[in-house]
Amino acid sequence: MKRLAVFLFAVSAFGQATFPEAWPSYNGDTSGRRYSALSKINQSNINSLSLAWVYRVNPGRAPQAGGGNVNTTIKGTPVIVNGVLYTTIPDHVWAIDARTGSVIWHHVWTSKGGWHIGNRGVAVLRETVYVETPDCNLVALNSKDGKERWHTQICDLEQFYYASVAPIIVKNHVITGVSGDDLDIPGYIESHDPDTGALQWRWYAHPEPGTPEAKTWPSVEAMLHGGGMTWVPSTYDPDLNLLYFGTGNPQPVIAGQGREGSNLYTECIIALNPDTGKLAWYFQPSPHDTHDWDAVQTPVLFDGEINGQPRNLLAQASRNGWFFVLDRATGKNVLSSEFVKTNWTLGVDAKGQPIPNPAKQPKLDGALVTPNQGGAINWPSPSFNPETGLFYANAARAWSIYYLYDDDDKPEGWGGNDRSGFSEAMLQAIDYKTGKIRWSHKWPGNGGGVRSGLLSTAGKLLFAGDPSSNFVALDPATGEPLWHAALHTSVTNGPITYELDGVQYLVVGAGDTLYAFAMRAR
Amino acid sequence: MRRLIVLLLGSFCQHAFGQAGPYVRQEVDPAASDRGKRVYTQFCINCHGALAKGTEQGPDLIRSPLVLRDRLGDQIGPALKKLANHKTDLTNTQVAELTHFLKDQVEATAKNRNPEHPPNVLTGNLEAGRAYFNGAGKCSTCHSPTGDLAGVGRKYSPIDLQQRFLFPRRSKPLQVTVQTSVDQSFTGTLERIDDFSVALRDASGQYRSWPRNVRNVKVFIDDPLAAHVEMLDGYTDQDIHNVVRYLESLK
Repeated sequence: MKRLAVFLFAVSAFGQATFPEAWPSYNGDTSGRRYSALSKINQSNINSLSLAWVYRVNPGRAPQAGGGNVNTTIKGTPVIVNGVLYTTIPDHVWAIDARTGSVIWHHVWTSKGGWHIGNRGVAVLRETVYVETPDCNLVALNSKDGKERWHTQICDLEQFYYASVAPIIVKNHVITGVSGDDLDIPGYIESHDPDTGALQWRWYAHPEPGTPEAKTWPSVEAMLHGGGMTWVPSTYDPDLNLLYFGTGNPQPVIAGQGREGSNLYTECIIALNPDTGKLAWYFQPSPHDTHDWDAVQTPVLFDGEINGQPRNLLAQASRNGWFFVLDRATGKNVLSSEFVKTNWTLGVDAKGQPIPNPAKQPKLDGALVTPNQGGAINWPSPSFNPETGLFYANAARAWSIYYLYDDDDKPEGWGGNDRSGFSEAMLQAIDYKTGKIRWSHKWPGNGGGVRSGLLSTAGKLLFAGDPSSNFVALDPATGEPLWHAALHTSVTNGPITYELDGVQYLVVGAGDTLYAFAMRAR
Repeated sequence: MRRLIVLLLGSFCQHAFGQAGPYVRQEVDPAASDRGKRVYTQFCINCHGALAKGTEQGPDLIRSPLVLRDRLGDQIGPALKKLANHKTDLTNTQVAELTHFLKDQVEATAKNRNPEHPPNVLTGNLEAGRAYFNGAGKCSTCHSPTGDLAGVGRKYSPIDLQQRFLFPRRSKPLQVTVQTSVDQSFTGTLERIDDFSVALRDASGQYRSWPRNVRNVKVFIDDPLAAHVEMLDGYTDQDIHNVVRYLESLK
């Protein structure tokens, strides 16, 4: 019955109370809110939180030829199903007893190559664990012992693709994404059969040639090599039966003079029918991007109120520094605002999409731009708290100089880059009704972006990593820091919470180590 | 040559990933690449362009899945032999050398986020830069061309000047004063600060730390670079280019 319950949760829990004892997918539920209804850990007892267990991943041996260096940083969000925690680094999956931190099994994928920059975790359906590998495979493992059931190729290493995203389960679909921007290749998202791995559909991040949207490229050749990778997990609304995700930067990345136009469907928030892969709508946060500001940040789904009217909403804090609220049924813009100050736009168009300022495109002698290439936010997950009505983003105000290296009419690859500058990190609480910053907590200490995801709970707590290796709990209403644990290095993933045997746990990854805290006080 | 063009373009349009070849990429032999360039220049350049990025007569070979999957001619060799208007009698050695040249172009493209040459950032106006330095920029409030900036044009490359002007590095550690009561405070080099604690090392070398969630602990940091951070919102790119041109003149 428990397995059935987990399955049902995975397919139908949008907008409902979270399934308390588990964290069954990348975002905990399909909404992407990263809000937990658990409250045994709360403001009144947070200082009684105790360390439950610590687990340091040990990959044992390096990936094989072409695999690059071992990257042991835990960037994925653990998934908890039936008391088992699944965590990953590239080529490795561990099943761990969520009560004790003891290893149940460890699967090692024999790598044939690809970038080993990070892995964002697994998906679990019934008794199968799904993971993507840097060498372009979707691998299905038996959840009992970690042995492989099957694997299938999802991208082509020869074209410099690789895979890093956590798959997402939607009904009878395993949704996968791809990465890679060294060469000019198209991004896409796929759906696979959960039992066999067979391809159900593929949707490319470019229009069909001949359609009106194709006119946002100067040529079919440019469009078919235009990028738009899909490297952050999707969200899903079962009532609308729509899958939501963001697409990455266009190609060539920095030198955009060979791809004049807005370059659809790169840098877009996309809504697809998950059964067919057909496009429902798109909204483009960064038309004609030339700054590597992938718009892949989690599209967060919640029900709210705008001008007194109930609305089904989607919000994204995008890497380019802008916060967008959309109607998630239609993609129509409700609100666009900066969540950190930027300098690259001329305002927004009638659709609510920022208009890039040509003067702030990369230049041969440099252009001073904020945010920098790392962005005002990157892949780490935001959180939306329905109690406060606030959208939280671990953000940065960062500057750099963007240079154009290749001014050829047809540049390829990157053709430019930025060079780093000043950066300061802050936690922003955004009012989704106005786009205004309700509170901003500037992290003290050395600047720089924070690569920690966020978690908010019904215990009136907001959890985040700071730049000083602390795991911090704040008051979500005010931003006041309430509690912290000094870890051995900075938080590198999104924290999660779950309940087992009446005990609420909190797990966070920092570098190669998972730290689990528990509230055992009665 | 034209049929090869159609073949290559067709494989793009279908996104036909097909069977992957060996996964370790072909290592480029520079000498073989040089010889391959001669083959390319003689037989391929007219249709595929000087940089193999394609022309109206022939497709881009750097973006070609067939080229990307090839190992020492195992894909390109058979393709050339099948197609009209292509050089069909190249030796296996010539084909292999051609692949070294093409792989060289692919690898260079994949790495071109790094510049071959430093960008030329000396595009501004020296006198306008001097005026900004002494006027609107208020640079002369803290800096002098005959003092701390004397010889910076000799000391740094232009691009480093641009970076250091916009994002100056800290020349000495931040100083912090921690006031623990009305009549007691400590000053020293900031060692660490977060929301919960602050630590310094005083002039004697003694390390001290305090919790910050205590009401009477107050922290004062004087950051001499704060003005530079505030200036970032005010610069125009032309200001930047002018000032860099002026700083470069300070030999």
